[in-house]
Amino acid sequence: MKNQDDFKTRLKIAKNKFQKTALNEDEKGSFMGNAFKLGTELVAAVGVGTIIGFILDNWFDTKPWLIIIFFFLGAIAGILNVIRSAKRMQKND
Amino acid sequence: MQQFNVYKIGPEIKISGLDLSFTNSSLFMVLSATAIALFLFFGSKDKRIIPNKVQLISELLYNFVAKMISDTAGSKAKPYFPFIFSLFMFVLLCNMIGMLPYAFTVTSHIIVTLIMALFIFIAVTIIGFLKHGFKYLSIFIPKGVPAILLPLITIIEIISYLSRPVSLSVRLFANMMAGHTMLKVFGGFVISLGVLGGWLPLSFSVALTGLEILVAFLQAYVFAILTCIYLNDALNLHH
Repeated sequence: MKNQDDFKTRLKIAKNKFQKTALNEDEKGSFMGNAFKLGTELVAAVGVGTIIGFILDNWFDTKPWLIIIFFFLGAIAGILNVIRSAKRMQKND
Repeated sequence: MQQFNVYKIGPEIKISGLDLSFTNSSLFMVLSATAIALFLFFGSKDKRIIPNKVQLISELLYNFVAKMISDTAGSKAKPYFPFIFSLFMFVLLCNMIGMLPYAFTVTSHIIVTLIMALFIFIAVTIIGFLKHGFKYLSIFIPKGVPAILLPLITIIEIISYLSRPVSLSVRLFANMMAGHTMLKVFGGFVISLGVLGGWLPLSFSVALTGLEILVAFLQAYVFAILTCIYLNDALNLHH
């Protein structure tokens, strides 16, 4: 029995050590991955906003207005996306 | 360009108007899927205490993805490990096999990446609604916003949510296609400049090949980690 307890404590210590090293490891790949991410994040939201505006325009017959409004809303959403992922990057550091 | 052409292999199969013929794109998808299956089968076949190379690499990949999931989405996302692991491996292998000469890059076609991204998007939305019911809609309403601005902010949030599959698919597709096109362009320079001036673009294209292998890995990583982040938003509301 004593042997088993001994093993359990050793296992606990080893697990703690493993978790600590896992946390301390810096992820060198992730910062480049994040850098690649930001550009498309901005463009995609603008594109989606414009497409939504285009569809709504066709529905309501208000030709240029909704597409203009939704283009700008899409741009705002894109900037919001970029700010969010930048915040996430800072949290990870 | 010739390397992006999709052509049929074998007989034409048509089921109720849908063209389901086997193409070179499907061939390379099957190839990468079999490569993953075989590799991981041999990696996990004899479980040695001192691992051999195949086992070591598959354990590394497992730990890499497991750590990524627990870091970004927490312990609640553990049940989705098989899905994210297969996704990561599939994108990684498709990208890497595309780097071989004469190979076809499956992920350089937007329809492939868009289908994967839409699948993730719809799956995450369904998971969110299953876990939280209609409370899941509260991700469109951020905390601490004045009531006057709320309609505007909600529209912006919805656009931002809908832009997820687009940015996810366009990123992977654009990176793969741009990389291969760039290699092709520099390869063309080598031919047209001949023996005298061709050495400079040749060295560039060697360096670019290295960069492309890095990009192939990074894009698979980004694809998987963004899936984890979206899953995190669906599992743990409001962070």
